[in-house]
Order: sequence, then structure tokens, then C-alpha cells
Amino acid sequence: MAYIHLDGVSRQYGSVWAVDRVNMAIEKHEFVSLLGPSGSGKTTLLRIIAGLERPTQGRVLIDGEDVTELPPHKRGVAMVFQEFLLFPHRTVYENLAFPLRMLKLPKGEIEARVEWVVGILALRGLETRYPNQLSGGQQQRVALGRGLVGRPKVLLLDEPLANLDRELRQEMEVEIRKHQTGLGIPFVYVTHNQEEALSMSDRIAVVRGGRIEDFASRADIYDRPKTAFIAQFVGRSSRFEAIVAGGDRRLALRGDGILIEAESQPGLALGERVAAYVKNEKVRLKPAEPGGADAPNALPATVRHVILRGAYAEYVLGWSGGELIASRPRSEAEFAEGAAVTAFWNAADVDLFPVSEPGR
Amino acid sequence: MSMKLGKWKPGKIALLATVAVSYLFLYLPVVHIGLASFARNSNFPYPPKWSLDIMTRLLSNSLYQTALGNSLLIGVFAALLSTALAGLATIGLLRHAGRRAPVYLALFIAPLFVAEVLLGISSLIFNGLFLGLQGNIVSAILANVVHCFSYAVLIIATQLYRYDWRLDDAAMVFGASPARTFFEVTLPLIWPGLLGAFIVTFIMAFNNLEISFYLLGATPTLPSAAWGALRYGVKPELYALATCVNLIVFTLLAVMFVLMMTGAATFGHRPERERSAV
Repeated sequence: MAYIHLDGVSRQYGSVWAVDRVNMAIEKHEFVSLLGPSGSGKTTLLRIIAGLERPTQGRVLIDGEDVTELPPHKRGVAMVFQEFLLFPHRTVYENLAFPLRMLKLPKGEIEARVEWVVGILALRGLETRYPNQLSGGQQQRVALGRGLVGRPKVLLLDEPLANLDRELRQEMEVEIRKHQTGLGIPFVYVTHNQEEALSMSDRIAVVRGGRIEDFASRADIYDRPKTAFIAQFVGRSSRFEAIVAGGDRRLALRGDGILIEAESQPGLALGERVAAYVKNEKVRLKPAEPGGADAPNALPATVRHVILRGAYAEYVLGWSGGELIASRPRSEAEFAEGAAVTAFWNAADVDLFPVSEPGR
Repeated sequence: MSMKLGKWKPGKIALLATVAVSYLFLYLPVVHIGLASFARNSNFPYPPKWSLDIMTRLLSNSLYQTALGNSLLIGVFAALLSTALAGLATIGLLRHAGRRAPVYLALFIAPLFVAEVLLGISSLIFNGLFLGLQGNIVSAILANVVHCFSYAVLIIATQLYRYDWRLDDAAMVFGASPARTFFEVTLPLIWPGLLGAFIVTFIMAFNNLEISFYLLGATPTLPSAAWGALRYGVKPELYALATCVNLIVFTLLAVMFVLMMTGAATFGHRPERERSAV
């Protein structure tokens, strides 16, 4: 029996199903991310676990107990909000002590626990300040501390890093994951940022239109996307449209002036339209050589722009059918803007999905 | 001595003069009555010959003592009741009214536009017929609540409009029951609006003549005692009475002002530096 169970949970607003028949099982030591675009229902799902929203249908179980009917203050959960939502009339110390006072812990215990959280989150010296006297990063640490201090059954995090700048965000990612491992309680983390989800999670649930598109390990989500949406949303990739042209162990696909070879997939019929995704970092480059244009998974192209991303260079390539991006380590041979190259990739790195509606 | 022309441009002089005249117009009558009530020569106290005679006469007059007691009763209870009701109404308006909120708001503040005399008459009839309340002080308090409520809604709404209700979510997630949430988080952040509404409605009910008059008849309040005393000519006690009422009102406003200046309360006005936190 998993620690947190969502059993056919749905939430309706008017005629819209913000959350639609969601089933999830989260283990006790897991860090789970709900990853999806804005409006996909991931925050609503989190608020349902917290008890701030009531599901229209379905049940929520935490630690074996059906909490569907329980108000938030009786669930023993905690939450870190995107806007921090620290109590503005309370000092940092009082904010951190709030969940403990609600638990009616003795005074000494409260002091010890606040002291502990002040220590692990590097908040020493800020205890007597008010939230409006703190920087964004400090407010975020207090918000995280307030979430951890009561040792909740589960910590829910609603885009907690969205208001921080990039550098601070990466620092906090490491820290959040560290505390999750240390405390051994499940974290459910809502984000629209795939890098955050990939850097911290054990498993990722990709949410789209109120439904769970896939719930799998982060490696599976990234390397073996189950749907076209996931292939598009997680990681950065280039997309080709093609028609299944034949093949046995390997499928041959024919698009506009491109020959793609991919590993065989069940359920794809001859002549079917498919979308093929190749992740940017799987596209490799070599100098253009005359006559090699007909090989599969090789594309003659011209370097249009080079974007330096520190350890990586992103090559924006123009080819007869549009644009394609190759992300290569800087340690490899570099190509100048305007250079003629051949972009190529392995058949195993092509993700194929049938195209249901034309143009998508 | 050379005058700096730039400092005394005609426009600036005109502006200062206008301000001065405006303030004189507003406060000269009050100052005049104030001087008169502490002077032996109360008809024309310039310069005043200081004396506490008039004040003593006022304070020994049992009619005015009863009237003060009644006015205080009406003021305090009408203010308490209208502030509490308006607080609840505003919370409902902001949290649960949805798209119809403007309609509800319009109906809440409509009593502002009804003449107080009419409010007094209709309250008298209604309270008598349907609530079984004869004209008495309870009835007067209820009638005052009607228009005090409208002012209180406006004052409290300006404060609550800025309140971030997600703070309540945060409190509840961290284990606070709804009641605890209200007293630990909501109330400490909105009390200035409630206090502001209480003070303003107290002053309104305390000073009210028309509504109270219809519902109380012969029972005196300070305004009605003053009104009644006019029949015998403007006596010096009236000066003292007016000064006392003004002192009470100014004291309350001074309390609000000091709270605002020290930053202890904002009464709906929020300095820029605090905005980010809420």
C-alpha cells in the first residue's frame, strides 16, 4: 500500500474538469513532481491533496487513512507556496513556530525545532525580522522551513522556486532534495519547469488537461516519452513529420526530403502519418560531404546561429524542410555560422508517435 | 533687504491664501465656540476672560448628563453592531459573492442616500409594528445601525480588498482551524479597518439627531438636548456642550491619526514598502 493514494480524483469547475480521474500512488520516501503547462490542473491536484479543494469525485488517502472529508488543518500536511505567503505580521521565528504551536507542542520542543530548522536553512540572525525585511531567497527559505518544521506526513510544494532567479533556483533545488532525503517524507512538487522536475524527482507525473499523461521515473519520462506531448514538453527536441514507408526491424519513414530510420514500434501501419522527435543533444554534426545525402537519419544543413550555453553550444541549423537544433558539448569540434554540415542521429534516438490530427 | 522673487510668485501666494481661507472657514466657528465656552464674556470672547463657569454649569445639569449617557450608549452599541455586521458582510462580499458582488455592494450602501429623517420615521414604524419595539434606546440603536452599516462597509472594504485570502489557506494547511485562522491571521491584519469603521460609526451615531430623535421622542441625547434648548435661546451651556462633543470627536480622530503616523495601523492606506509582503 502506497503512502499517498489518489483514487479516481476529479474536480469540476462549472463545466470544466480541472482534474479528471487521476489515479496516483506515491511511496513514503519519494520525491514526485507534477509537471505540466499552466492551466493543466497540477496546482488544483496539489490543493486537493492539501484539502484546500474538495474533489468532485474520488478519494484521497494519506498513510492508509481516507482524508477526503478532512479539512486541511486535520490532515497533517504542509505546503510551500509560490508567493511564499509568510504571515506578514509575524517575525521569522513566529512564522516558523506557527505549525508547532498549532500542534500544541511544549515550549521547549518548539524552541528546539525552530532552532533546528534555522540551522539547516541558514536563517540564523534573521529570527526577529519581519517577512518584508527579507530578500526573496530568504523568504523562500523561511517558507520552506515553515513547511519542514512540523515534520508533516507530506510536504506539498507549489512552484516554490518560480519567483527566484536562476542561480538561486539551482541552489535551492539541491537543498530541497537534500532535506527530502534527510527527512524521509514524500515531497509532491508542482512545477511547469522541466529542469526542476528532472533535477530533483524520483518520479515525474506529466499533467495535461487535468489528466496524468504518464507517471514514471524521470529517466523514463525523459528518455522514453510515452506520448507526443511528453516528447514535446520534456527536453528540447526537433520534430519531423513523415509517413511510414516500410521496413521490418527498422521502420523507414519518408518526409519532405528526409529519410528517417527508427526502431520498430507496434501499431504503426504502412502509410500512416507519424511525428518523429529527436532530442537536441542526440543530433550530432559533421562537416558536409558531397554525395552522402541519401543516407537515413542524415540531413544536409547550414549553421544559421550558434548560441553559447557555457558547456554547450546550440547550433540552429537550416535545412530544406525548416529548422533543427543540435546541442553539442563545447569539447567537440565547433562549427562557424554559415558552415555546411551534415546533421545525423541514431535510429534508437528517434521517438515516434502517430499523428492523429493533421498538422499537429 | 532683498526679497527673493522666486520664492514668492503670485501663484504660490494665491494658493497659500486659498488654503488659509479654507481652513479658517472650516475651523473658525469651532475655535470661536471653544473660546466662548471657557470665557466669562461668552458672547464676544475677544480677548477671552478665562473661566470654567460655563463648563461647571453644563456638568451640573442633569439633563445633559442623561443625554451624554444616552448618546454614548447609542454610539458604542450602534458602532459595535454595525462594525461587526459590516465586517461579516464585507468578507462575504469579497470571498463568496462572485460576479454579483457589485449588486450586493450597491444594496449595502444604498441607505447612505436615504434622508435620515425618512430613515428615522420608517424605522420607528417598522420597529414598532414588526419587532414590537416601542420608541426606546434599543430601537434607536438599531435604526442608527442602518446607515452606520453602509459607511462601515465602505471603510472595511478598502482594507479587506487588499487582504490576501491565500494567507488563510496557509494558516489552515499548517494546522489552524477556521476560527484559529481568523484570530491568528485574518484579524491581526484587518483590525485597523475594523477600528476605523468603529470610530467613524461611533461618531456618526453619537452625533446623530434625526434618526435618534424619531425613535426616542422625549428621551434626550446630546444633539436632541441641544436642539431642544434652542427654544429658550442660545444659552452659554450650548457653547460648552458643543465644545465637549467636538473634543470627543477630535480625540477619536487624533487616536486614528497617531496610529497612522506611527505605522501601528493603516486604516486602508498602505505605505509602498509594506505592499510586497502582503
